[in-house]
Amino acid sequence: MSEQFSRRDFLKLAGLGAATTAVLTGCGPASRYVKREPYMEMPEYTATGQSTYYATTCRECAAGCGLVVRTHQGRAIKTEGNANHPLNLGKTCARGQASLQGLYNPDRVTDPIKAGSPLPMDWDAAIQVVADALKNNKPEEVAFLMGMAPDHLFDLVSDLAKETGMNAPIRFGALGMFEARATLSQAAGNLFGEAGLPYFDVGGAQVVLSFGANFLETWLSPVSYTRGFTGLREAQTKQRGTLVQFEARMSATGGKADEWIPLRPGTEALVALAIGKLAAEIKGGAMPRAFAGVDVLDAASKSGIKLETLEHIAGMFANSAGALAIPGGAALGQSNGLEVAEAVLALNALADNFGKPGGMSISALAPDQTEYHRPASAKEMQDFIQKMAGGKFKVLFVHGVNPFFELPNSLGFHSASKNVAQLISFSTFRDETAREANYVFPDHHGLEAWGYQRVATGAMQPVLSGAQPVVSPFYNTRATADVMIAAAQLAGGSFAQALPYADEVEFLQTKVASLLGEADGSFSAPNPQTFMAYFQQYGGWWRNMDGRVAPSASGALNRSIKGDMAEFAGEGEFFFIPFVSPTLAEAGANKPWLQELPDPTTTVMWNTWLEMNPETAHELHIENDDVVRVVSDAGALELPVYVYPAIRPDTVAMPFGQGHTAYGRYAEGRGVNPNDLLGQHFNEAGDLAFAGMKVKIEKTGKKRPLSRLESIMGVYGEGLGEEH
Amino acid sequence: MMATLSDLKISEVKLSGKEAGKWGMVIDQDICTGCQACVAACAMENNISFVGEEDAGYGRSMHWIRIERFWEGEYPEVKMTPNQPMMCQQCGQAPCEPVCPAFATVHSMAEELNLQVYNRCVGTRYCANNCPYQVRSFNWRDYERPEPLPNQLNPDVTVRRRGIMEKCTFCIQRIHRAQDQAKAEGREVVDGEFTTACAQACPASAITFGRTDDPASLVSQLMKRRSHGVKHLEELGTLPNVTYFKGG
Repeated sequence: MSEQFSRRDFLKLAGLGAATTAVLTGCGPASRYVKREPYMEMPEYTATGQSTYYATTCRECAAGCGLVVRTHQGRAIKTEGNANHPLNLGKTCARGQASLQGLYNPDRVTDPIKAGSPLPMDWDAAIQVVADALKNNKPEEVAFLMGMAPDHLFDLVSDLAKETGMNAPIRFGALGMFEARATLSQAAGNLFGEAGLPYFDVGGAQVVLSFGANFLETWLSPVSYTRGFTGLREAQTKQRGTLVQFEARMSATGGKADEWIPLRPGTEALVALAIGKLAAEIKGGAMPRAFAGVDVLDAASKSGIKLETLEHIAGMFANSAGALAIPGGAALGQSNGLEVAEAVLALNALADNFGKPGGMSISALAPDQTEYHRPASAKEMQDFIQKMAGGKFKVLFVHGVNPFFELPNSLGFHSASKNVAQLISFSTFRDETAREANYVFPDHHGLEAWGYQRVATGAMQPVLSGAQPVVSPFYNTRATADVMIAAAQLAGGSFAQALPYADEVEFLQTKVASLLGEADGSFSAPNPQTFMAYFQQYGGWWRNMDGRVAPSASGALNRSIKGDMAEFAGEGEFFFIPFVSPTLAEAGANKPWLQELPDPTTTVMWNTWLEMNPETAHELHIENDDVVRVVSDAGALELPVYVYPAIRPDTVAMPFGQGHTAYGRYAEGRGVNPNDLLGQHFNEAGDLAFAGMKVKIEKTGKKRPLSRLESIMGVYGEGLGEEH
Repeated sequence: MMATLSDLKISEVKLSGKEAGKWGMVIDQDICTGCQACVAACAMENNISFVGEEDAGYGRSMHWIRIERFWEGEYPEVKMTPNQPMMCQQCGQAPCEPVCPAFATVHSMAEELNLQVYNRCVGTRYCANNCPYQVRSFNWRDYERPEPLPNQLNPDVTVRRRGIMEKCTFCIQRIHRAQDQAKAEGREVVDGEFTTACAQACPASAITFGRTDDPASLVSQLMKRRSHGVKHLEELGTLPNVTYFKGG
């Protein structure tokens, strides 16, 4: 060693033996779990002072982004995006970043619990309960409600259901409800004869017309769509692209638009068809049947958009080589949502962009998938709840979803659950469902768990994203797949035949091994063990091909599309738009740092607010922070007003994400849940018409200051009020 | 010696100070979507405390980076200004530095960054008072971090307690880790080998970090390629090391 080396340098060098950035699998069959050891005795691959990195899949929403988690002495320290993963290319959203606050949340379920019993159960007894529930009931009396993610557990339960005649598992999530996924795929089915999930290549486009799609926030696959947005604005080889957003309330996505068009809610279909008609006139040729029936002047007057504006947008759309139209969000959650989706997708047919760069296509199916399987619509959930209420189910298993919070009150899940003899929740957190359940058999947190997940949309390639534990389970929790396998073995008969596996990992290996022989994959391996090791190391497997399908354009324009206005339920004078909080989404409220992230548009933290136009507020003598009562035909809520400059005077809006009555100290008793205002109104595709209501606003005379990042001056003068 | 700031005209200040520091950041406001991923990433990387609703309402939240947006015009012609991520600008001539009586806000000669030495800080808050960018945050309390949340604390970053000022460090722990790694391998740090937590997370790739004194680095290239870069409150002569593209 040279004399120039100081002792400090030596110590630094000595600590840097291994490359710190390599992603390790560390998990041969012999070591399935990363042990959290005292510093004295670390596992041999965990060098003191060195970080170990594990690739896995983010479980904060159903998009399925790849993560690489930095761990240090067996603790997870930081999540980053997996740069190899085709969906997110190394990027993450705020929810992915904060997932560690879920893992180390102080309000997790630590042991299996029986309701009413002060002592925790042991897992043998818990598995016996599940086995009895399977065995002692008729198969059709057992139901499984799951989260939106198409993951390995969904496959496992589907296998079980197929073999035993149990009800096929149902996937549901509030995000899917507010995205109106069923409407999107049914519109695609109606126009192209193939009901897939549309994919919009924002990045390659020049002019994007978005009808309410909040694709930079929570919509479908926000990280991937944000990358697309960067492409729209930044590509070196083309001009800066233009985004036009049609919505009554400016979303964070609308805030980034070059033109924000506050149209009257319910006129989206009409406006899309009018733009189609004007654009078709500019393009020349025969007028497509889809647009022929619409009266442009009528559309302009009904929607409140100036004719010149419509003509100017239609001109941009018709003359651009990269025109794209996206339907989404509140535009689809109305009585005529299906027509809106069809009208907007027809614009893409007019632009002739199917399967082209900057155009629309049908999302790539996952490697092992033959058809798109969408989550349940709200209407299907209503049928499900009616069966529950009718006593058709004796046992209901709930995993990965919090129906007591995520479903509108009016659908009656709460009362229907009383008619289910046994409600068994697998919740990781003490949420509303866990509180109501007869048993809670806690699953590991996503970062402690094995698995895989299909990427439903957002990536060009067919992707099966892989998950592995990055830390050993912190509490006495058990993988739900392991519980089901053990219970099925115990129940015997067809149950045992359906799941002939030793444990979850064997199940995964069996499923994933079917990809072993594929030639065009991101990697190949000589045997299943090596394949599985690579699968963990790379965070999944994907085909090196463009799996998106160009829909056939032939029929899309020859169908007449009705341009009726949406119908609104309720007596009130204000249109009501609930939107998913971009930072909290449906399950972020228990993570304190997500609570403390300012909302991108209002900068409000830790609460729920009602957005109201300044003019309207002035007329009603309402100021910022005044508590109002919002009354719909399904319920009423009290919450403070945020005077919002970018919303129509006839519209009010409210974020979804707060209003928990359980779910831990950071979520509980905070804000309100707009689901309480939503009635049983559906569109033709069975999605909830969540933006199809009118509400009344009543003053209460109370005040509740909101914490916000902006304009904190003046808060000192007012204080936070006595009630706080 | 150099003339004092007040003797110089603005153009002279620009010429006299070192125009480019060592590390710099380029932020493209045209593509920033305001999604808050950088804010969350920063908090997770740097062990930043959350303060709860009431303290946040009093402006005591500890964000090292925040996203500013303003409104222009009135409905229906209302526009949101391009989102503006704002963090310590790592000034070449930082107003926070000369006012600290405890020498806790010092300039790093090696990295040309503004340091905050936590164990020197006595909490006078003079530095925050003097920061024209309002990017320093003060620990008004020992904020509670109930078990087992402390398990996620980054061992590379000091945990601060009550009475201490803190601010963005350009993730100096990552700079040092990359330098140590490069040194161990007998080479220089390569551009893009590491980046700050905010830049790494940003789904829009709106934040780019790197060496501004290296003309080949991506930040330098971006600044050269796009001539409309703006430095905030440049007229104060602070020589900020963050360049903003206003977009359009």
